[in-house]
Amino acid sequence: MRVIADLHIHSRYSRATSEKMSAEEIARFAKIKGLHVVGTGDSTHPAWLRELKENLVLDSETRLYKLAKEPNSLMYFMITSEVSTMFTFQNNVKKIHHVILTPTIETAEQINDRLTRYGDLAADGRPTLNMDAPLLVEEVMALSSENMVFPAHAWTPWFSVFGAFNGFDSIEDCYQDMTKHIHALETGLSSDPPMNWRLSVLDRFTLVSNSDSHSFWPWRIGREANVFELEKPSYRNIVEAIRLKDTGRFRFTIETDPAYGKYHWTGHRNCHVSLSPKEAQKLGNMCPVCRRMLTKGVEQRVEELADRPFGFKLEGVAGFIRLLPLSEIICAFLGVDSPSTQKVWSVYNSLVGKFGNEYSVLLDAPLEELDKVVDAKLADAIVRVREGKIRVIPGYDGVYGQLVLFEENFSGKADPERVQQMNLSDFM
Amino acid sequence: MFKLKVSDAKLLRDMITSISILVDEATFKLDPEGMKLRAMDPSRVAMVDFEWPKTVFEEYQCTEPAKMCINITELLKLLKRAGKDEIVELSLDYKTGKLQVKITGKYTRNFTMPTLEASEEEVPTPKLAFNVKAKVTTTGLSQAIEDAQLVSDHVRIEADNEKLAFNASGDLMGAEISIQKGSDTILDLEVKEPAKATFSLSYLTEIIKAATATSDIATLEFSSDMPVKLDFQQAKEGKLTFYLAPRIETE
Repeated sequence: MRVIADLHIHSRYSRATSEKMSAEEIARFAKIKGLHVVGTGDSTHPAWLRELKENLVLDSETRLYKLAKEPNSLMYFMITSEVSTMFTFQNNVKKIHHVILTPTIETAEQINDRLTRYGDLAADGRPTLNMDAPLLVEEVMALSSENMVFPAHAWTPWFSVFGAFNGFDSIEDCYQDMTKHIHALETGLSSDPPMNWRLSVLDRFTLVSNSDSHSFWPWRIGREANVFELEKPSYRNIVEAIRLKDTGRFRFTIETDPAYGKYHWTGHRNCHVSLSPKEAQKLGNMCPVCRRMLTKGVEQRVEELADRPFGFKLEGVAGFIRLLPLSEIICAFLGVDSPSTQKVWSVYNSLVGKFGNEYSVLLDAPLEELDKVVDAKLADAIVRVREGKIRVIPGYDGVYGQLVLFEENFSGKADPERVQQMNLSDFM
Repeated sequence: MFKLKVSDAKLLRDMITSISILVDEATFKLDPEGMKLRAMDPSRVAMVDFEWPKTVFEEYQCTEPAKMCINITELLKLLKRAGKDEIVELSLDYKTGKLQVKITGKYTRNFTMPTLEASEEEVPTPKLAFNVKAKVTTTGLSQAIEDAQLVSDHVRIEADNEKLAFNASGDLMGAEISIQKGSDTILDLEVKEPAKATFSLSYLTEIIKAATATSDIATLEFSSDMPVKLDFQQAKEGKLTFYLAPRIETE
């Protein structure tokens, strides 16, 4: 069976999350999305772990969890967390985020017993730990070989293993002798597999994709996910498929267009400056408005470390498909400001009502069936997204990319507020 | 050998400050006739073109042409120690590559600082044909730019036969500063055809503020959506000119 899993989200105990982010609400929207497995997030947080113990039950067959209220549901939870390690490497402070997967609440408690020595786990759903990355892996893996650690959103400018601001140039520099336990890396919203394939040193890692969602809304949760073909979902099956790079089981990832990510291009949010790697290099990575260093985007950072040309295709690895949240597509089609408006919900509900869940609409629904439910142009847009025939104006410095569904609507303007600073080389 | 002497430390300090607006490390070309520098800032948005003939200095000696690259910030720190009427002497030891900075006033201070590897890049000036040439007082120009900066981070400079105008629009506020031909601020205005171009205020403000300390009169030359040339007339001989690339608004 096809199993879609989003293994990195956050609970209401993380900063900047919805207050209503309870297990019940997460399960409700994950089901609407079409997820089969969703990470609990924040299992290092004592209060959230207590809530999970109260509300979830272990399904002994799958070693995944279900809502206690819904024992017959096919929506499972995996116990997951994200932590931030803060340490010094070669006189530079490194703040690196990592995702931890663990099979049970009990093993999560064991992890917490160890990690509590390095920071206040109750301070945030994603705690900051005063320990280096190799020590984190050592502590977690010493408890159980079934645990898994991988770098979170590996390319975002801040808090990531390859981040432009305080990241490393290789996985080995970050994890040292514990690299042997690192089998995967999370590509993050602003990068996708083809960008990562350009670094031959990453060939041995499985590329996973998760939403890192801070809310349960369907335009956030599951916007990136992993698609497995399994006899049945289970902790072991999923973790093993990732660890072994088993393309028979781990089939593909669901990716948003990397340009949709908030850090794809280089720029300055407050200065309304958004630049391609080439343009940014031309300006010496300095903001032409405020004259400070620009926030280097993921595409430029990949370009710096890549040893393969643009467009390189790595064979024998899991595939990927580019999708965008259905609410975002409807939102762009209707020309409204937010995916949370009633107009968007109304169209969204009609599609999900007809096809069962959002992924079915995005991945499977034939054009002629979509046509019967919604405006033909919207149906066409959904299929165009599936086929990668849309344009996304790249996000930068914390600003999400903008979706252009139809070329005829594309004015050629990269951003309504974008400023193009010329440089003198253009006039020589 | 290379040696220069100025009796007005402020003059040297103000000029070096103007250069420091755009570059951290400056490569000066030295020859028997004087010293020159032409450099762009790291983003290549702005350029400074500076020349001081030997007649500007009380003493000037350069036995053979050479390049001297110095850390401008460090040199400024030393020059700031000099009082207005104190004498400053710079001398470069070609063998050791050390620059000696001697400040003589009530007492004598001798500093040495290293020179850096000189840039080999030859920077040409932009090839431009200007439709507007406006000679203005630097005080008036500074005030117009300060007004614009209250509301925005960029300003559109416009000119026609009647006036020179500065238009700034921010997210909430806007400003229009209009200076009529014949006013005290405009000393001369030649317009081949009306033109307008937009520029970053972060650059303009700093350039004009620093250069105004060295000059009372500036000449602006520009055409639509082309770089502006800002020439600051020096009290003595010499040249201090800036070029600034335009911003193209996509709105």
